[in-house]
Amino acid sequence: MVNIDKLRKTVRETVAREDIKYVVGYEKGTYGFQVSPCFAFTPEDADKFIFSPLCVNNLVVYPMLEEKLPLPKGEKEDTRKIGIIVKGCDSKAAVQIIQERGMKREHVVLIGVPCTGVIDPRKIRAKFPHQMKNVEVKEEEKFVFTIDGTTHKVPKEELMFDKCKHCENPTPVLYDVLVGDEIESTKKEDYETVKAFEKKPLREKWDHWRKQFDRCIRCYACRNVCPMCYCKKCMVDQLSPQWVRRSVNLSENTVWNIMRAYHLAGRCIGCGECERACPMGIPLTDLNKKIQRDVKEMFNYSPGLNVQEKALLVAFNPQDPEEFIL
Amino acid sequence: MNNNPYLPWLATIEEIRVEVTGDRPVKTFKLAFQDEKLQKDFSYLPGQCVMVSLFGVGECFFAISSSPTQKGYVEVSVIKLGKVTSALHECELGDVLGVRGPYGNTFDVDGWRGKNIVFIGGGIGQAPLRSLINYVVNNRKKYGKLDVIYGARASQDLCFKKELSELEKREDVNVHLSIDVGENGWKKFVGFVPDNLLRVKPSPKNTVAVTCGPPIMIEFVIHNLLKLGFTEEQIFTTLEMRMKCGIGKCGRCNIGNLYVCKDGPVFSYKQLKNIQGER
Amino acid sequence: MLAEYQVFGPVHDDGVTLFRQIKDPSELDLQFSNSSMPPKALLLRQTETLFKFRLGRTVKIDRVNLPDDRTVIFGIRPCDARSLTILDQVFKGEYEDPYYLAKRKNTVLVGLSCTRPEVNCFCTSLNDGPASAENMDVLFTDIGEKYYVEVKSDKGKHLIAGMKGLLTSAKEENEKKKKEVERKAVASITRSMNIEGLVNTLDNMFENPFWQTIAMKCLGCGVCTYLCPTCHCFDIQDETTVTKGARVCVWDSCMYPEYTSQASGYNPRPGRMNRVRNRVYHKFNYFPKNLDVTACVGCGRCIDNCPVNVDIVDVVTRAQEVKV
Repeated sequence: MVNIDKLRKTVRETVAREDIKYVVGYEKGTYGFQVSPCFAFTPEDADKFIFSPLCVNNLVVYPMLEEKLPLPKGEKEDTRKIGIIVKGCDSKAAVQIIQERGMKREHVVLIGVPCTGVIDPRKIRAKFPHQMKNVEVKEEEKFVFTIDGTTHKVPKEELMFDKCKHCENPTPVLYDVLVGDEIESTKKEDYETVKAFEKKPLREKWDHWRKQFDRCIRCYACRNVCPMCYCKKCMVDQLSPQWVRRSVNLSENTVWNIMRAYHLAGRCIGCGECERACPMGIPLTDLNKKIQRDVKEMFNYSPGLNVQEKALLVAFNPQDPEEFIL
Repeated sequence: MNNNPYLPWLATIEEIRVEVTGDRPVKTFKLAFQDEKLQKDFSYLPGQCVMVSLFGVGECFFAISSSPTQKGYVEVSVIKLGKVTSALHECELGDVLGVRGPYGNTFDVDGWRGKNIVFIGGGIGQAPLRSLINYVVNNRKKYGKLDVIYGARASQDLCFKKELSELEKREDVNVHLSIDVGENGWKKFVGFVPDNLLRVKPSPKNTVAVTCGPPIMIEFVIHNLLKLGFTEEQIFTTLEMRMKCGIGKCGRCNIGNLYVCKDGPVFSYKQLKNIQGER
Repeated sequence: MLAEYQVFGPVHDDGVTLFRQIKDPSELDLQFSNSSMPPKALLLRQTETLFKFRLGRTVKIDRVNLPDDRTVIFGIRPCDARSLTILDQVFKGEYEDPYYLAKRKNTVLVGLSCTRPEVNCFCTSLNDGPASAENMDVLFTDIGEKYYVEVKSDKGKHLIAGMKGLLTSAKEENEKKKKEVERKAVASITRSMNIEGLVNTLDNMFENPFWQTIAMKCLGCGVCTYLCPTCHCFDIQDETTVTKGARVCVWDSCMYPEYTSQASGYNPRPGRMNRVRNRVYHKFNYFPKNLDVTACVGCGRCIDNCPVNVDIVDVVTRAQEVKV
């Protein structure tokens, strides 16, 4: 468990710095198990910050959402740094973006929080439906909730995200400050689900994905929530030429989802935000995990681990596999 | 043909006039409806607009730049800027386009009878004003003093040069042209349109001012008109936003609670001041 | 009903409830609270072909046939039925949208009262209720062993005519039970939004920095607009192969920056703040000014699905607390 006072103190000190514009973290949401991103502009704002197993958002999406808007006369652009609270997976997103030169290392101050797993909102809403009042979660050996006077203890495995069950980086891989002690990595990503799916016959695989893509409504929530999707003009928004039609049908939906997965090849760090945001419950992480596994096997590369490393698709190594080159 | 407001009528390009060449080319297209009855019956008033379709490319909302006193066809003046307008510039005589309209509200040509009118245009913004100017000039006796103040970045960017020089020859219309930066051979005013306006100093008495041009020019023109004593009800402009349906349904062109395609594009300054919205 | 009409009802599909066409009553999932996609998707299709055309030396336009299948939307909730009444006002008016209106004319709404409203429902704040029959053709309310059926329109009467054998006249005790169910449902709605004087409040705070604070966490993803039963913004695009094509009408969202960006590069709503503010004003200020109705039905889908907890009830409540 993270010491909340220590977290708030760190945030307070960070915001007070002259070179910091704001710090983004988590605060209590407006109902039930919700947690909301929160911005601290002054040291007093730091008192809103919390950290609990309900803090699922990947906040690294915010520095990439900075807008360059037309300013009133005489006003200069505010180029100060941004502080971000990052869990293990979030920090990998920051590392990957820095590797790609999407942002400068000096532009962000990463406040690392060691994390042993967060709760999947779908699972907890299914377990405790109709929960209006805010609920606090305590993390002991199990997750402990007090709802309407009754205490519930639920085994972690039942409520955690699947991604957390194979987390190799509970301690952030990159940080300026660490709030708490480093947690040793005990789990391993073995891509069991990918391997099991690969064994299925082609027809079954296609039918499965066809059913999923049929449900896609092309709301692009997956794209906006993803910290790695920061193209100034996304391929689907281009009109001349138009790569993907705006019609919503199986053909265009398939192009959208598969192309997005390919654009994330070697870049997706597996935070699972896309799947969480999808209103239709499409298992998007399965697509990304498959490519992640292939990248690891072919190039021995895992995204988001080392700022000094070159990003996969900009580096050429003579040892790269060449079976596809005739 | 149309209980369906999304279905365009077919029209053929009968004439293409090149107004401006260079980086910001402008062409005027004369479109004649294929349906003969429509050629006779299609009626509109200055200020209204049409949605012109290039089948396979898209649709664009243009102000009708011809006057309704010129029957049988509609003219639109198009600057080459984006996907549809670039494709339109590649079109040739005889090509078939779609037209639907007329949409929007009009300049109050009946209410302005007997008044003096000042037209202040900049660049391609002269297109909707041209419709109004030609209408008023064709009904010359019904209106008072007419002043046309028009300017562009450079002399090559001035539109409707031929018509403007015809107007200059008339004694009952005053034309004041300008360009932003001086050039060899240009003997008229050099400077921005709002400054030219201050130099011409039209009297606000029994006058209406109509302006159209780039947003920043409109802002300064209105500022100067107020300085010259015009009231908010005497100043009119026509605005533009990205539009798709043209009939107030797709929700995109709103400024505050008004839709530019339906409640506009003609607005008085008094209206604009009171609605909150980005423009 | 299935014999005469195309029936759409709530179907459970892998964790999500959607309104789908059913061929057999066993496919229905009536334990749902509300569907993910609002029933507006059945009338205002995500992709609607306006007309087709053939290119060549000249252009030929081929009109599409307007749909005339008699349809029933079964199990629609009162909030969603109200949203269709609001959408009707948008698509009628000086110009009528024939695609939406043809479907609407041929659709009968057979509603199901909410007995267990969801956490984020707030229809009662918007002059509506979980068992309101106002915008329905027929409304079913579960009163225990039976359903209390209210018939509200000619369309409804026509539909019911084919079911004479299954229905008996309601007695006073049945009506009492229905009112009791309704009362319980209303009492279980915990959220509320005060819309009195909201138009004026919003009029006075357009330039307030409050909107910047609210919009900071918004990602501009568009989920709220796609799942909102009253949102209706659309785009019109031409889709072609070399010699022929179609003009289609597709859903769009005002939360995307490209929504208002002009060919010159100028965008009147360049920032997320402008777009969030425009959305709130559109629902609670512009719509009431133009059509005298608030364009929100209190279904709570936007609150349920926003990935960053932008909560419209919270936004409106806080807006009203801002000191101007």
